[in-house]
Amino acid sequence: MLPIDAAAHSSRWRRRHPVDKAVLGLGLTVLAISLPPWPGAALILLTAVAVLLGPAGVPARQLWRAYRVPLGFCITGAVTLLVQVGGPDGFVALADGGPVRAGELLLRTSAASLGVLLFAFTTPMSDLLPRLVKAGVPAPVVDVALVTYRMSFLLLDSVRRIREAQAARLGHTTRAAAWRSLAGLGATAFVRAFDRAARLQAGLAGRGYDGTLRVLVPDARVSVRFVSVSVTLLAVLTVLTFALERPLS
Amino acid sequence: MHIAEGFLPPAHAIAWGVASAPFVVHGVRSLTREVRENPESTLLLGASGAFTFVLSALKIPSVTGSCSHPTGTGLGAILFRPPIMAVLGTITLLFQALLLAHGGLTTLGANVFSMAIVGPWAGYAVYKVLRRYDVPLMVAVFFGAFVADLSTYCVTSVQLALAFPDPGSGFLGALGKFGSIFAVTQIPLAVSEGLLTVLVMRLLVQSSKGDLTRLGVFLSGRQNRTRTAETEAVAR
Repeated sequence: MLPIDAAAHSSRWRRRHPVDKAVLGLGLTVLAISLPPWPGAALILLTAVAVLLGPAGVPARQLWRAYRVPLGFCITGAVTLLVQVGGPDGFVALADGGPVRAGELLLRTSAASLGVLLFAFTTPMSDLLPRLVKAGVPAPVVDVALVTYRMSFLLLDSVRRIREAQAARLGHTTRAAAWRSLAGLGATAFVRAFDRAARLQAGLAGRGYDGTLRVLVPDARVSVRFVSVSVTLLAVLTVLTFALERPLS
Repeated sequence: MHIAEGFLPPAHAIAWGVASAPFVVHGVRSLTREVRENPESTLLLGASGAFTFVLSALKIPSVTGSCSHPTGTGLGAILFRPPIMAVLGTITLLFQALLLAHGGLTTLGANVFSMAIVGPWAGYAVYKVLRRYDVPLMVAVFFGAFVADLSTYCVTSVQLALAFPDPGSGFLGALGKFGSIFAVTQIPLAVSEGLLTVLVMRLLVQSSKGDLTRLGVFLSGRQNRTRTAETEAVAR
């Protein structure tokens, strides 16, 4: 299982309905990209960190490990805004207002990423996917996504074992050997995926498979109280952003 | 090549979502029809999605000395066709956003457009044209995967340049800026992905001929034309 999904399964908010967490987490993300980055995204960033480490109970180390990936992309992307191409200062020069634009972008992407991480760290995929049918996603697509999700872990585990076996046979010592091993890895993943699908099909056929995958979904209800508090928090952040925007600019 | 969460302004994020929607809806209809006609396809398509997800997690050595991961769009499009790849690519990108913090939900539309629509269609078009003229399978596979990877990076550069035009030279300057940054890593990566796809396909030809025949990968240009003519005759 991947670290974020494993953390979601043992989360304090695991039993909450995904809608509760979507309103809060994805609400923060939407606000992060919609409100002025300063001070809006900064406030959202602080709020998201506080909620993640506080009420949601996400361990700081796990959060950092997951967060540093998008943070790296954010920093690389923001750096490009520091320079401009063409103009009176030469072919490549420092852009006027570049640091401000880069800083704003960094704030916006960081805050938006934390909002999604709040949702991801508290909502296992196995709780989310079956409920997408009620949101209007066609059942066959949800079934394919469910099989993809469950089979991904098995395949990732297979790939890890194959890589270890290849390394033990000196399969990564030279560049040519590394390419051969990698190609073998890709091809074996394909063969195993199709083999698993065939075996799953045989097993399901023996149980009267009619084309519908029925899975048990943990019972949960949308909490009016939780959603109300989340919406209030989002409203307070919005009001605070516009109230502080002029004094802090 | 994934555009990170929150990187695009809201108007751009919505616009790319709207642009992707018809292709994804078309793919969903194809997939739904396929599953209704053949219920066992659910498992094969799920396996294909898992394969695409795992493929994008493999690290490939780049010519520049660094490591990166393949997009898998070229191989996916050749094996499963672009409409199906639009759906499988969307599912994979959703999983990457939520399980790996790679890409994002607000940028899902933009990432789907570049990686699940343009990449597979461009790569598949090149592959089909080459096969139509009876170019050897592995050569067609290489160029299919190469073009799929390269077109994905070109579209991502356009998306970023539209969102962040250069203060001095506007859209074109920004396109050059983002394009040249990506070119350093992505052109060698496109070559690497093309080579890797050929190696994977060679092994698949040896080990999974049955699966590849069922997926229609083995049809040459002449066979394809014959099959089309047969289909038309049956329809008449």
